[in-house]
Amino acid sequence: MQLRPLLLKAGATAVTLGATLVSALYVTAHVKNPSAPLQPSVLNISSSVQPSNVQPVTSTYAS
Amino acid sequence: MGTSCSLFAVQPSALALLKGELWVRSLAARLTRFDARSELSRLNAAAGKWTAVSSEMEALLRESLRAHERSGGLVNVAVLPSMLAVGYTRTLADGPTAATLELARSAPELPSVLEVMPGRARLEPDVGIDLGGIAKGWMADRLAERLGPNVLVNLGGDLRARGGGPEGAGWPVGFGDATILLAGRGAATSSVLRRRWAGGLHHLIDPRTGLPAASDLVEVSVVAATAVDAEVVAKAALIAGRASAPAYCAAHADAWRLVPA
Repeated sequence: MQLRPLLLKAGATAVTLGATLVSALYVTAHVKNPSAPLQPSVLNISSSVQPSNVQPVTSTYAS
Repeated sequence: MGTSCSLFAVQPSALALLKGELWVRSLAARLTRFDARSELSRLNAAAGKWTAVSSEMEALLRESLRAHERSGGLVNVAVLPSMLAVGYTRTLADGPTAATLELARSAPELPSVLEVMPGRARLEPDVGIDLGGIAKGWMADRLAERLGPNVLVNLGGDLRARGGGPEGAGWPVGFGDATILLAGRGAATSSVLRRRWAGGLHHLIDPRTGLPAASDLVEVSVVAATAVDAEVVAKAALIAGRASAPAYCAAHADAWRLVPA
């Protein structure tokens, strides 16, 4: 009579542990760039500079 | 220069472009600190004595003093001892050497250790300078003037545009994920995501500590009146960090992009 609640508890525990393990594996496998910025950049363009949709010929970058 | 350079021009003269390339190669060879025979290396080696300098070196030293003033000391070419201490003793193509951080030290105030007179200059003893990004931006500005009225120069990411570009409204250039039209202005990017190596070390030295800058920004791009101005503002903003960078950029730049850590 008391076997069913025990099985339910054991099953719930197994599901929780399994989900935790799968999540950990997923996160570990999908770390693409640990040094990538985690927040969006802040862009401010004053009226003296015009944005454009034209394909850029070159870019500013750090070298 | 250890980086790539691109020249764009409307109705270009092949001879002018070739002369421009030769000018960059010649000047870069004189300004490198990785060749003991270069003009910069001889100036560093002669610290403590007055040394004859070329007109280009004189102009760059004066620009360095101006950059120090404009950045409140955050852009200081006298960080060479610290650059050597973090292992940046040779080109990064050859790889960094072992760091000796105990030798890193805060940089002296530049005007107190660098004197410039017409045709000659003097560094205080034990002072060394690395012209780095200032030389790159300054060269982009000078090269754009030499090439013609409608040109775009890209020296290792430091841009200087003259004229309206192919369509007349400005040269379309990438600015982070955006594209802007650059006309009569310069742009530059400073970052700690490049030129970094094991131990969290990188090339961008905070002159206040003499150690790699520990900023809460990892990259800053700026549009300003000239390439060298953009270079100075970008580097100072990155070192200053998120609390000060927006106001500093608003005062000195036409556009800016801040990338938080």
